Amino acid sequence: MIEIFRNLLAPPRHIILLIAAIWMGLALAEKRAEHHGVSKDQLNNITFYSLLGYVIGGRLLFALENLSAFTPSPLSIFSPNADLFDPTAALITALLVGLIYSQRQKLPLGGTLEALTPLFATLAIGLHLAHLAAGTAFGSPTTLPWGIELWNATRHPTQIYELIASLFIFGWLWFRKADFPSGALFLNFIALTAGARLFLEAFRGDSTLIFGGLRLAQIVAWIVLAVALFASERTQQQKN
Amino acid sequence: MNTNQRKIFYAFIIILGLAWIFLSADKSGMSTSGQIPAPQPGFLAPDFELKTITGETIKLSDLRGQAVLVNLWATWCPPCRAEMKSIEKVYNEYKDRGLVVLAVNMTYQDDPTKITPFITEQELTFPILLDETANTAKAYQLHSLPSSFFINRDGKINEVVIGGPMAEALLRTRIEAILK
Repeated sequence: MIEIFRNLLAPPRHIILLIAAIWMGLALAEKRAEHHGVSKDQLNNITFYSLLGYVIGGRLLFALENLSAFTPSPLSIFSPNADLFDPTAALITALLVGLIYSQRQKLPLGGTLEALTPLFATLAIGLHLAHLAAGTAFGSPTTLPWGIELWNATRHPTQIYELIASLFIFGWLWFRKADFPSGALFLNFIALTAGARLFLEAFRGDSTLIFGGLRLAQIVAWIVLAVALFASERTQQQKN
Repeated sequence: MNTNQRKIFYAFIIILGLAWIFLSADKSGMSTSGQIPAPQPGFLAPDFELKTITGETIKLSDLRGQAVLVNLWATWCPPCRAEMKSIEKVYNEYKDRGLVVLAVNMTYQDDPTKITPFITEQELTFPILLDETANTAKAYQLHSLPSSFFINRDGKINEVVIGGPMAEALLRTRIEAILK
């Protein structure tokens, strides 16, 4: 079944799935944007400029980090190779561009993040589908009956665990009944996503390990979770 | 849930999370086993033994200690053809530092009569291997051409690039990483 899914799309299948997730997430976010004080145009613009920042920033900073590789062939900077890219730098650039745009448009920070939350939650689903399609973010070997055959071993289906978690998070945020204070929905998304990562990283087979076996992603997720809970509490107190 | 109950709940989650980090630590100190052969970064490169176009036999595992670029290609594949000049150029830049390029032709799905004219036309100097049985393609779970596997001196795959043509800068950054 998983093999059929993996063969459904040709590489780069992960990019196709991520683009589909952005498109769907944006369509969903548009439905509720005005409720959070953000117009559909502003939502589309902030997404477009951030994506543009993501692509350009990721490529330019990769080139700067690897200047000696680009000097003999500077035209490589325009290459369609998606691998000539620094995803961390891209993400930072996208965040900065989004922040600058929202400042210039005088958009409320809490409302903007709230409006974008369905997009983030859908993107998380797309990301885990992309992992499943590409066989990345794979699990550690297991003897459990639901293990999947991947990379010459029976492994925890971590991509499916993470996909289920992200579907639950999306469902919880989308169909919620409670009326949260501005910004709290986004903080809930961050806390739930960090909590899921903290728990599920334990089953991953590709973790970066530090200090004799601690998983780096869990430590980062734990810090993010703590900050999100603290901020969430502050938001609640301000509301009261 | 009132404020105090919520604070206690959040503190409980944070403590539970911290405990989980220590409980789920990987005691082996290596989460991806470099001893399992699989065509994925972090894994041992699947071994193969193939004949070159000139009749020699090359076994991947015999090249342990050298950085290896395994490029799977075919003459009918335009991006494969397009990236060969760049591979040749970068191979000449790095071969003295211990880079080996193995261009594995997917002979089982190619026209063997077109291989030698293509090599001559492109003036390729690295070994061209022939996969006549599709065993190497299967071992590397080939889905699209070209596919390139950058293998470090320990025989582990450092990076996989699916599709092409690869830019020279991409080749240089990936080769620098496996030469370390």
